[in-house]
Amino acid sequence: MESELKMNNLLYKLETYLKRTVSRREFMKIIIGGLVYFLSENQFLKFAFAKNSDAKPRAKKSIACEHDLVAVKGSKSGKNVEKAIELLGGIDKFVKKGDVVLVKPNMAWDRSPEQAANTDPEVVATIVELCYKAGAKRVNIFDVPCNDDRRVYENSGIQKAAEEKGAKVYFADHWNVLKAKFPYKSAMEDWPIIRDAVVCDTFINVPVLKHHGLTGLTLSMKNLMGVCSGTRGFIHIDIAKKLVDLTDFINPDLTIIDATRVLTKNGPSGGNLKDVIKLDTVIASTDPTLADTYACKLMKKDPMSVPYLKEAAARKFGNSNLEKSDIKELSI
Amino acid sequence: MKKLIIARKFSQILFLGLFVYIVWSTTYPLNSIISPKVLFKLDPLIMFFTAISVRQCIEGIVLSILVAIFALIFGRYFCGWICPVGTSVDIAAMVNKRNLILSDGLNNNVKKPKYYILFIVSFLAILGFQAAWILDPIVIFARFLSLSFIPGATFVIDKTFIFAIKNFELYGGFYDFYRSLNDNLLGIKIQFFVNSGISLSIFLAIVLIPIIIPRLWCRTLCPLGALFGIFSKISVFKRAVEKCTDCKNCYNICRMQAINKDLSYIKSECVLCMDCVYSCPTKGTSFKFDYKNKLVNTGKGKGTISRRDFLFLLLISLPSLGFSNKNDKKFSYKAIEVIRPPGVKNEELFLKTCVRCGNCMKVCITNGLQPTLLKSGVEGLWTPQLVPEIGYCEYNCTLCGEVCPTKAIPELRSAQKKKEKLGLAIIDESICFPHSQNKQCIVCEEHCPISDKAIKLKNKITAEGEMIMLPYVDKDLCVGCGICQNKCPARPGRAIKVKGKL
Repeated sequence: MESELKMNNLLYKLETYLKRTVSRREFMKIIIGGLVYFLSENQFLKFAFAKNSDAKPRAKKSIACEHDLVAVKGSKSGKNVEKAIELLGGIDKFVKKGDVVLVKPNMAWDRSPEQAANTDPEVVATIVELCYKAGAKRVNIFDVPCNDDRRVYENSGIQKAAEEKGAKVYFADHWNVLKAKFPYKSAMEDWPIIRDAVVCDTFINVPVLKHHGLTGLTLSMKNLMGVCSGTRGFIHIDIAKKLVDLTDFINPDLTIIDATRVLTKNGPSGGNLKDVIKLDTVIASTDPTLADTYACKLMKKDPMSVPYLKEAAARKFGNSNLEKSDIKELSI
Repeated sequence: MKKLIIARKFSQILFLGLFVYIVWSTTYPLNSIISPKVLFKLDPLIMFFTAISVRQCIEGIVLSILVAIFALIFGRYFCGWICPVGTSVDIAAMVNKRNLILSDGLNNNVKKPKYYILFIVSFLAILGFQAAWILDPIVIFARFLSLSFIPGATFVIDKTFIFAIKNFELYGGFYDFYRSLNDNLLGIKIQFFVNSGISLSIFLAIVLIPIIIPRLWCRTLCPLGALFGIFSKISVFKRAVEKCTDCKNCYNICRMQAINKDLSYIKSECVLCMDCVYSCPTKGTSFKFDYKNKLVNTGKGKGTISRRDFLFLLLISLPSLGFSNKNDKKFSYKAIEVIRPPGVKNEELFLKTCVRCGNCMKVCITNGLQPTLLKSGVEGLWTPQLVPEIGYCEYNCTLCGEVCPTKAIPELRSAQKKKEKLGLAIIDESICFPHSQNKQCIVCEEHCPISDKAIKLKNKITAEGEMIMLPYVDKDLCVGCGICQNKCPARPGRAIKVKGKL
């Protein structure tokens, strides 16, 4: 009874408060207060520019391939790619009809194809051609380069080669990003990632095998840095964990490592033709860790000396055991 | 039919459009039909006085001589028919149809300062100091376009598109359209320039004040107008009045106030706008070639400066001698604060040759070239400097040398340019992550464009037994391109900084 009375009392007070006449000064206070709140929280901008800006990790496709990893050696890089994908089980396994495919080559430096700082244009062009053959709706190609975008796209030769095959080669827009949200605690939490890298049906990672000052080798995991926006220098600090997290987030469906020309020194930008050797090999696998580990073996380097492969092995991310995997090597 | 006025307006719009097109297309592939250098090679003021101050013949000076020869025939045709600032002033003046007419005495004084300015400019040029850029209208307009107008316009268009795409989720064909628009028209990067507000306000002041008093800038301050005014002294294309009813229509309509109240005509002020031809009720006014000074009613008003003015000018320009003091220690001290574009060897020669047109800043692929205000002294106002935190010098790029109209930035081949030292990178070990916090980083080494790496690494074993790599700069190899400073993740101050060459 008493509580009911109290309640009534309270309601009455509330009613009188709401029905009171508001003086002009009070009205202005409310309006200004509201405006300050509105602007301080940046509600409008949040509404306008932050729509659906969070991204969940890309779903892992379970693709049963005929081999865990295929490495093809031959004089023509385009042929190597075709053969490697054919041995894995054909492009139809990865690209379904009507898919939007992202091919992510390594085109980060203002260097010519001969200088081997970027992926071989022919490799990229062949992959684009195969994707369209499998019925892809659209093949996107982009990278966030370290040098100026326009010079890199042109001088790497990838833009011309891929556009001839019908791919959409465009510059990454740094406003068009999604924030990475991880199911576990990660240093890459909230990192802006270019939208098209997350909202694509198939992600084909096409790195080039080359030297790198910090990680020893630039491989598929390092290449995924190219879908990140923001101040990417920060990724270099504690790089191993961040790259494994990023790979786990992006989950590339297919990794094709281009080892046609390999930069052995002064990477990742290189520039001296004396540092380049020809290996004429293409490695293809669905498992980025396995592909990277095999590439290390190809370069006669201990995989455990590459920090992110060490981290991946420690976390049991992917398969880092070459002996226990089904590896097909072929020379044509 | 006002045929001549239509022709004049057409010519004005054509040249304004051409001007904007040329400056707009001064960007990476550099595939415009007309080279951006041409704009400034047409300008006699810039070309003559730069050539005089460096005592050298400048490539392309023929074009400006051609323009000057035309002025010897037609007078100030350039101001009325070509000059983009004149066109902008005319467009702005369309707001206000009523001219504010100054009294003859005031008008006589108002038109003098431009000759003073021209005199000072030529005086300094003879002393070896180039000051033509300070008030040259072509330079002011080009700088306004490069530094303020184009970045501002592209920013607004770009943000509108981004808003539409993000808000309405137009990631399909509309997004592709936006991308192709960016590739072909807007440029993929929106440029930003420090001090662009100042160049904007200078231009606005020039354009908006003449709304009240028409063509005030052209009548009062423009040194290029003064130069053409002097040329027009002997020009043979003149205004002729055959039948006059003293209606004063031409006096009221003349935008340059080149017609005095007694209807005498000041040839050095006339820009051949042809307004008076069509305002004449008797149709007795026309422009004719007159080789033997037969026409009456011309050239009565005073055009250029009197002897008294000349002596006065000589007196006031004496303090400007101080600018050319070569042994000033402050001068050389200030010069090292800024990083000059690649190929600039002699700071003093650079200041003489540079016309501050802003072409190099507009074309700079990374937006790293920014205008200095007073950082390199008053003499260095609006000169380009590399600000590595905004943009670095692209290793393979030679664009700034390609667009410089006076070769202040030499045109270098790619192989030659790669050897040019802009400065030297210095690592601040108290901020650098590997040096101060034992964290692996080496972003600078990764980005170093020199194939043998000017930033080298040495190994260090930390107390925890981890091996980390410490960067250090090889002074012989470093060219000071600034990419290391640009990409360095240390904030707020970068751990590696490029200092200008000493």
